[in-house]
Amino acid sequence: MPVEAEAGLHASDITVSYGGVLANDRVTLDVTPGQVVGLIGPNGAGKTTFVDAVTGFTAAEGQVWLAGTRLDELAPHHRRAAGLSRTWQSGELFSNLTVAENIMVAARPGGLRRVWHDIFGRRDRASDLVANVLRTVGLADAEETIARDLTLGQQKLVGVARAMAGRCGLLLLDEPAAGLDSAESAAFAERLRAIAADGPGVLLIDHDMSLVLGVCDRVYVMEFGKVIFAGTPAQARRDPAVVAAYLGVPMEASHD
Amino acid sequence: MWRVTTFIQFAVLGLGLGAVYVGLATGLLLVHRATGIINFAQGAMGMWGAYVFAQLQVDGTLVFPVGQLYLPEPPGVVLSLFIALLMGLLLGILAHYLVFRPVRHAPVLAQVVVSIGLMVAIQALVVIRFGPNNIAVDEVVPRVDIALVGVAVSGRELVMAVLMVGLAALVWVYLQFTRAGSATRAAAENERGAALMGFSPDRLAGFAIMLSTVISTAAVILGSSITGLNPENYTLIVVPALAVLLLARLESIALVCVGGLALGVLQSELNLVSTSEWWPTWAKSGLDQVVPFLIVMVILFAFGKRLPSRGSLQTVRLPDVTLPRIRLLPAVLLIGGAALAVSLTSGQIRFGITSSMIMMLLALSYVVITGYLGQISLAQLAFAGAAGFTLSKIATAWGLPFPLAVLLSSVVAILLGMLVALPAFRIRGAQLAITTMAAALAIERFVFGNYSLTPPEGNPIAEPMIGGVNFAVREGRDLARLEFSVLVLVVAALAVLLFIRLASGDTGRAFLAVRSNERAAASAGINVRMTKLIGFGLSAFIAGLAGCLIGYSHGQLSAESFEVFVGLQILAVAYVGGITSFGGALVAGLIAPLGILYVVLHQLFEMGNYYALITGIGLMITAILHPSGIAGEVHRAIAALRRKQRGGPAGAGTADAAAEPGDDPSRKDPSHAS
Repeated sequence: MPVEAEAGLHASDITVSYGGVLANDRVTLDVTPGQVVGLIGPNGAGKTTFVDAVTGFTAAEGQVWLAGTRLDELAPHHRRAAGLSRTWQSGELFSNLTVAENIMVAARPGGLRRVWHDIFGRRDRASDLVANVLRTVGLADAEETIARDLTLGQQKLVGVARAMAGRCGLLLLDEPAAGLDSAESAAFAERLRAIAADGPGVLLIDHDMSLVLGVCDRVYVMEFGKVIFAGTPAQARRDPAVVAAYLGVPMEASHD
Repeated sequence: MWRVTTFIQFAVLGLGLGAVYVGLATGLLLVHRATGIINFAQGAMGMWGAYVFAQLQVDGTLVFPVGQLYLPEPPGVVLSLFIALLMGLLLGILAHYLVFRPVRHAPVLAQVVVSIGLMVAIQALVVIRFGPNNIAVDEVVPRVDIALVGVAVSGRELVMAVLMVGLAALVWVYLQFTRAGSATRAAAENERGAALMGFSPDRLAGFAIMLSTVISTAAVILGSSITGLNPENYTLIVVPALAVLLLARLESIALVCVGGLALGVLQSELNLVSTSEWWPTWAKSGLDQVVPFLIVMVILFAFGKRLPSRGSLQTVRLPDVTLPRIRLLPAVLLIGGAALAVSLTSGQIRFGITSSMIMMLLALSYVVITGYLGQISLAQLAFAGAAGFTLSKIATAWGLPFPLAVLLSSVVAILLGMLVALPAFRIRGAQLAITTMAAALAIERFVFGNYSLTPPEGNPIAEPMIGGVNFAVREGRDLARLEFSVLVLVVAALAVLLFIRLASGDTGRAFLAVRSNERAAASAGINVRMTKLIGFGLSAFIAGLAGCLIGYSHGQLSAESFEVFVGLQILAVAYVGGITSFGGALVAGLIAPLGILYVVLHQLFEMGNYYALITGIGLMITAILHPSGIAGEVHRAIAALRRKQRGGPAGAGTADAAAEPGDDPSRKDPSHAS
């Protein structure tokens, strides 16, 4: 069976060039459902560019498959509708909507077909859905808070919740834990496992090495737009190229 | 056929208008470089000094905004010129401190709206102080004929072009070669850069606005010696100048010169060609506004995203919106109150109340497009006009009955609205404002003001009849029949109901998400383009309903009902009322031109153009100090009162579930200055 037909995300040969500079150079990456996969690398390695490329926010070459459907020629909102969800490094919440409304945007994003229902249909607040995803990220009591009144860390968690609302086959999380303290970060790691166990695959980009290496099933390491390593966290800690490129110091120093 | 010499002569004549474009566009560029603001009032600001000059020449009166000085005899041209430019300079300083400086870090929406307020206010002030009629202006540059490649051409236009290009070159030298100029350019990229060079970005901005006003004043003075002065024309000449600015990618003075002169020549040649026999009659009117519009469209589609936008510290947010709910009691009180008001009054007062309901709809269309969707459209009245003119055709010629004719006409408005939404796929903010204003002006001049499409005596509109009952506004000596007011009330109530249903549903939430952050909206699964189409369609539909009702209320339609200026005034009252809520639209309806407040005030004293002046100033004050408008402030006061009554600490009532940090969840806080 070809990889394209498998469940989960299969991105192959993703290439992005900004004015002649290759920000992503033939990056190939897989995430299977139920897994948490890490993507790490030094600043400027092209991690966020990869997320932008896969989700359609920057022009890219290469193929993107999710659960057997090819997505790379679709607009971002169509990719989202197909189950490819992302978060943003800077949160990017709708800052003057409440947390619940932020999540409702993703759960029911409007559109022409919805207009008729809005005018004549019955209203339902879908409060169960909102409560569920918020409980998953540990912000159960923030529903009615205006998004901009949250801390940056909390805003990112709402971003994760928003990405989980609606149809979600794969979560691409761009530094979701930056801004959390170490206790919160540990709690977040637990939740990530629970999310992945529930079905969708997770691609986690983060600088917090103990989080990434602790929670991930597999790790990709990028440098200068290329994948220089793919394997388990244990292998990553021992790989000399990874240590040289990214960690600089032996893993034992930063991991516990 | 004409000879080549005629073409050459017309080309040179076109340089005169082109010189005016160069002057205004140079001013626009300078202001934009220094402040990031696109100044829609550039033409109006240049016009003030030109009027001062003309009045000095006519009878030696030096007119100030308030009061005047009678000189013993008209001063010479040079002295008059000096005084006029000095007045322009002072106006620039005033505009900087009172208008532009307070919004330098405000959202683009506030900046655009403030400069439109200034434009409306200056235009009204000019009419008040100098009168609405054309003033003939003495020649500044003597009229001589020069031989150019063997053809006798007008020397005056050549001299004008040379003068304005010279001034533009001086601005280029300033920006390119002086330390202050480099700091201004640095500030355009990064305000800290200018500060590091030892310049206050604020002073640089003030100087740039001052200089730009002087140059624009010179341009209008020169131009007015060809065309005479007319308050409306020179206010709106900013639109072709904006087209030139876009052509110059907002940064190249060389392109401003080439583009400005070329546009002038092109228009002059078109005027020549359109006199030929084969040119269709219907395409003769409004060419001078259609060409800039086409240029804007072409540029935006060709360059769109590559147009530079100025990097500044956008730390402030748009006025907040609360998702509305339909509550029975307020709805009954409101509709009942309106019904009572129209049945207890008669004549002018009843007509004023009815007009207020119609104007409320127009303001509501701005609430949809600007308050909810965050797009700046200056074409709302053009949508209304399109529906009104369609109504007059289909109700009279086809004999379609009342509700059907109105619905069909409003569908035409929807289609036009969606057409205008297309540029909004690629551009936003001030550029969209330019495009929609150019579109509105082109539609006004090319369609509404076109005598072969619209007879000068107006288009009659058949009376609205339902089941044999006549709902017409007039019958015999009754100029404001109750039946018509009831009809308007029913249509308005249905439109508001439609708005609230959509705004409180998934559609409204999607609007707000797009307004807040288009990228994030797309990543949450929103089809941003479709959402914009729906928003433009809905707002055009509501405006279209209003346009049909305006038609019925006059019994006939003429271009004056849908002029761009009326649209800008309604934008002003919509903003003053509150651009983000139905309540705001309601307030706007009450204070709108021809509305009830206007009628009452008008009966007490002759207001003339003071009304436009007040709306312009009100718009500026609201945009600067209270971006959520009267309705927002009232809402806030009520919320504060409720909190007080409950006796809890601030915010306790609304925030029991709030998370720990940032514990001031007062949603109504529209604080906007940094």
